[in-house]
Amino acid sequence: MSRSARERTGRRGLLSGLVWTAPWWLGVLLFLAVPMGMSLYISFCDYPLLQPPVYVGSANYAALATDPVFHKVLWNTVLFAVLAIPLGTVVAVLLAVLLNQRVRGQGFFRTCVFVPTVVPLVGTALVWLWMLNPEYGLVNHGLRAIGPVFEHINNGIALIIGHRVEWIGELAAGPKWLQLPGWAVSSLVLISLWGVGSPVVIYLAGLQDISEELYEAAMLDGASGTRRFWHVTLPGLSPVILFNVITGLIGTWQIFALPYVLMRAEQGPGRSTYFYTMYLFDNAFRYLKMGYASAMAWIQLFIILALTGLVFLVSRRMVHYRGA
Amino acid sequence: MTTRGTIGVLVIGVPALALLAFGPRGRYGEPPGRTVVRYWEKWAGVEGQVMQRIVDRFNRTVGAEKSIWVEYNAVSSIEQRTLIATAGGDPPDVAGLYDFIVPQYADQGALRPLDDLARDAGVDLNTLKPVWLDICRYEGRLYALPSTPYTIGLYYNRELFRRAGLDPDRPPETIAEFTECVKRLTLSDAVTLSNGEQGQRIVQAGFTPSTAMLGWWTWVWPCFFDGRLWDGQRCLIDAPAGRAAMHWIAELRQAQGVEPMLSFEATSGAIESAQNPFLSGRLAMVFQGPWLSNWLARYAPKLDYAVAPFPSITRERRNVFASTDVFVIPAGSRRPREAMTFLAYMMRQEVLEELCREHNKLSPFRTPGPNFYATHPNPHVRVFDEMANSAYAFGYPPMPMWLRVLDELKQMLNVVLAFPERTDSAMETAQRKVDEIVGDYRQMAARRRGGTP
Repeated sequence: MSRSARERTGRRGLLSGLVWTAPWWLGVLLFLAVPMGMSLYISFCDYPLLQPPVYVGSANYAALATDPVFHKVLWNTVLFAVLAIPLGTVVAVLLAVLLNQRVRGQGFFRTCVFVPTVVPLVGTALVWLWMLNPEYGLVNHGLRAIGPVFEHINNGIALIIGHRVEWIGELAAGPKWLQLPGWAVSSLVLISLWGVGSPVVIYLAGLQDISEELYEAAMLDGASGTRRFWHVTLPGLSPVILFNVITGLIGTWQIFALPYVLMRAEQGPGRSTYFYTMYLFDNAFRYLKMGYASAMAWIQLFIILALTGLVFLVSRRMVHYRGA
Repeated sequence: MTTRGTIGVLVIGVPALALLAFGPRGRYGEPPGRTVVRYWEKWAGVEGQVMQRIVDRFNRTVGAEKSIWVEYNAVSSIEQRTLIATAGGDPPDVAGLYDFIVPQYADQGALRPLDDLARDAGVDLNTLKPVWLDICRYEGRLYALPSTPYTIGLYYNRELFRRAGLDPDRPPETIAEFTECVKRLTLSDAVTLSNGEQGQRIVQAGFTPSTAMLGWWTWVWPCFFDGRLWDGQRCLIDAPAGRAAMHWIAELRQAQGVEPMLSFEATSGAIESAQNPFLSGRLAMVFQGPWLSNWLARYAPKLDYAVAPFPSITRERRNVFASTDVFVIPAGSRRPREAMTFLAYMMRQEVLEELCREHNKLSPFRTPGPNFYATHPNPHVRVFDEMANSAYAFGYPPMPMWLRVLDELKQMLNVVLAFPERTDSAMETAQRKVDEIVGDYRQMAARRRGGTP
């Protein structure tokens, strides 16, 4: 085949490929790239939606640097992520390991853990609203029942450090979970565990992938159950943990619906349940500050990218890929 | 196909086909030759059905005569959708919004002024009570028409008044009397805490301004101390009336008990439920609108209650909070005259009063129609209606940056309710932030107009 014929065939192949993939790349271009480009431009504008954008340079970014509400939502989101991701990961891994044991009713237990994740979010929020009710809620009922235990612990601590720890005392009496700033984020972290079923399923799949031979070898070497967990299960599960941590990280930075429903669209006591995406939404659609909201969206994107990069970097020596 | 597959197809397919053949039908489109007026409204359910009935009647009568067809659409998050549709250049021709949003949208140029349109369509604004028109105006221009107005009054449980030794025929008229009533109507039980200490549990509260317990209007309290929140230039949080109101709330809170009240408020059910604390007799007095009687009739038909204006600092000046849902014509509407023809029909007294009565709201007219009170579902509608005549009735502050300000005011009230000892610092913080918000808005407005910020 001559060179020109090859070129013709190549061009035709490229054209054909572009046509067949057009739904995807046109979609990405029109519904992702163009809006993102516009959003970047708008982040440098004052744009109240109803009037044309006016270029204001970096004013929106500068204003964010001194906006106390922005700082508050940033802190709330970081705090939530720092509490919810490790706790969620530990609970999910432990549950997955438990559910991986060959016991009678294994399917039933697995179903029990997964079922809460299919409950609609609004229903979940309403149920938890009552569960966390300071007077009649199940959580405080349980805490009050074991309240004397907390009191003994607190008395012991008082002997050591010279004073009682206030929050342990509150825990013993049953905290005002959603009514006081100090407890509101903890409540959301607690509720976030309700959806632990999804990562558990992924961890379960990951556990199936760990070779039985490794466990057998460890047993032959005399490794106890705990050692096998630390030296076989966890390293084998590490790529899955990394995946779940990263998706969890992205999810926590975008938390919106649960606090929105739970707090009835309010910002919570002392804005303690007011998160980044909620403030972004308010700026865009309630305060009509679309430029400001766009600047927030870009900062959010860079934070998520940076944190994801950081997690990859830190995890390089901790994650063990099969065959690597 | 296997037997199981065939059964599966039949189980899903037959009902689907039956649904297609005999299931509900969408509404038929407009008759040919009619100009379509798109009307977006927030009302769904029973309220939406009433409006749909009126729209259908318009389409059969005036609409047929003038070749107009109104297409009614119930839309959730109406203000945001109207805003986005307006920004996108394809707004509805008529939208049913809330009054507090009107200054913001009017200031941004999102609403069409209605003065000329209303006059040309023959709408007689003089038949309406002045308070409703004032609410619909922004900077002297009419941007909205009242649809379903309401005032907010003090519902009080007469039986609980009797039990507390209060006269149920003499509701409190001043803040001092009201405070005394609240204290006498707040009852608590002694409880033993896990550390063995004695605590207090509220079993019945006289009143609370908390958002958690039907206190929907977090910003109104200075107005009952004869203050107003906005003087056109500055938000007056730290004015004497504002200070007096917040300190009153803080002192009341401390008298009732902060921690027990927070726990008590967390037990509140929604207004439309049997756990509504006023309906269940756990809250003796509540600041609410005429619609509460819907739920009273459904969940507590035997509750002995009455309604009075909310007390003010003095007996002489009766401050009344008045608000209304509104009709607007968005700026980009392509059929404003046809839209106004529909609104002119809506503003006919018999039509609008039918809507207001069935929505359990007030009549916006100076002289309500002969049957309005007699057929109204709220037995206390005359009290609410009379309140709208007060010379000291007030609406939402006409601030174009209101939603941002409101969020700060909510935060301030929440701090006062949870930490009454921090009242002064909460007020200072709120005042500073609100001043910044107002300044920020003015700066942006000036920039958009091409002037110097």
